[in-house]
Amino acid sequence: MNANTPRPHPADTDRSTSELLSGTARDLPSGRHEFHKERLMAQIHDMQRAERTATPAPAQKRRLRLPRPAIALPLTAVAVAAAVVAGVWQTGSGGVRDSGVATGPALTTRIGTATTKGVPQLIDRISLAAADTSHPDVKPGQFVYIESKTANSFVKHVGDKSSLASHALHTRQVWKSADGTEGWLIDPAVNDSPEGETLSLPDEQGNTPEATLNAPSFDYLATLTTDPDKLLAKIYKETEGMGNTPDQQAFTTIGDLLIESYPPAELYPALFKAAAKIPGVVVVDDAVDAVGRHGIAVARLDETSGEREEWIFDRKTHVFLGERSVQVRKVSTGTDALITPGTVLFTNAIMQRAVVDGMKQTPSQAG
Amino acid sequence: MRTRVRAGESSAFAELFDSYARAVYNHAFRLTADWSVAEDVMAATFLEAWRLRDRVDAEGGSLRPWLLGIATNTARNQYRSNRRYRAAANAAAAAELSVPDHADEVADRVDDRHRLTLALSALAKLRRPEREVVTLCLGEGLDYEAAALALGIPVGTVASRLSRARKKLRAHAEDAAARPAAGTPYEKVRGNREGGRPARQTRGDHTSVIRPAQEGHR
Repeated sequence: MNANTPRPHPADTDRSTSELLSGTARDLPSGRHEFHKERLMAQIHDMQRAERTATPAPAQKRRLRLPRPAIALPLTAVAVAAAVVAGVWQTGSGGVRDSGVATGPALTTRIGTATTKGVPQLIDRISLAAADTSHPDVKPGQFVYIESKTANSFVKHVGDKSSLASHALHTRQVWKSADGTEGWLIDPAVNDSPEGETLSLPDEQGNTPEATLNAPSFDYLATLTTDPDKLLAKIYKETEGMGNTPDQQAFTTIGDLLIESYPPAELYPALFKAAAKIPGVVVVDDAVDAVGRHGIAVARLDETSGEREEWIFDRKTHVFLGERSVQVRKVSTGTDALITPGTVLFTNAIMQRAVVDGMKQTPSQAG
Repeated sequence: MRTRVRAGESSAFAELFDSYARAVYNHAFRLTADWSVAEDVMAATFLEAWRLRDRVDAEGGSLRPWLLGIATNTARNQYRSNRRYRAAANAAAAAELSVPDHADEVADRVDDRHRLTLALSALAKLRRPEREVVTLCLGEGLDYEAAALALGIPVGTVASRLSRARKKLRAHAEDAAARPAAGTPYEKVRGNREGGRPARQTRGDHTSVIRPAQEGHR
């Protein structure tokens, strides 16, 4: 650039000025960094939402005027398109084979109506039904076997193009020993080979992670308190700092325990009772699990991502059927904007939960 | 990073915050002489950065100078008059020294406090435009080009302001050294140590001032 520009050089700055500001750097008071970061993220989220509602219509400011056709028409078009999409349940078939599972167009669904009314009553019935199920104990050397059907949508990047795609519905089988150190997974969306892969510990790095709420073993779950309040307090404490919000993280943690663990009989109802105490939990009138079973759902909206996690229960027996995550609110950040409301991001149906005597053994084989 | 910031990806802003919050905070402190105001300025800076994200050039280096420029403008709105800065600097210096030196306090920290009060009293001797250049170039180590872009002024102006500021700082340092060693290098604060109430912050009136900064050599 400009050759005449004098540049600051350590040699030509005299001591008094160069060292002058050396003592003025400090860290933020403890906790303030996280506080401000969280607040910034929330503010950005709010502004994004405001921009979204403002982009099609600065009409908010001139509310007195009638909406101009140029604004009203696209809005109607969007509404119509949404109505067309509504009710369509697509599991992509055909498509490119990718990581062993067919990929297809995004999964979509009708978004059920949420209400906070009747949450305690529903949870009571679910807990009762849960307490009724006899859960056998897992003895040392035995394995918890969980078979589920699952599918998910994701943003696919080809070159610099992004589109929404999905993994078609496929079977997922997991075996885990009581202490959690031995396991096997068969999931064509995850595994490279059809025979699956080991989950046994120690892992490749030689670590033997301890069982936690996010990676529970049966033995670990058996040690948990069955007092809903204490249980929830523990969940909040252990998931502190994870996820988008503490409440959502607590809800998701319990949800994960429901779909891929076999909670002991005493703990199972306590999990539902604890979930009922999380703020923002709602009842959704209609939800479909991965294999098309309709039911009623206990759900919570993640305000940050606009996703709603739904735990689906049989309408009559209140037995847990499965879980899904549905985009209910539009997002505008980057490629996530492709995920339109009504997209099913993840869906899962529990097909079988059992205790078996060996890895890769299914209950039917055990005879 | 720049493309992600331009696209308004919140994760990009989370990363920006993690990387540069401390720098912005310290820069804001040097410009406001008040740690809590500095915290406010820092928070406002990142929010403002999000609003101004589409003015970031797609090409270029680190976004630190750009953020520091926004922080400078935000801080400027906190203290429109230099008199307020002096009041705040004196109050901060007094507060730093009034904290009793605990026996268990490490000597380093006591030294730190003295250095801080020295710096504040020196910065208070400068005019605001000079102070901004000094804090950017000496405090945050920007080169002349980056500082010029951050402030939206010609490079030559940065250089001349900095040399004028250096002269004043040298004079101030000699002045401080000439005083008896026992005495503190600043006058005792009489009356209100809190400083004046900052003028009501005007938001959004400085958006056109700042231009996206580019680092590196072209």
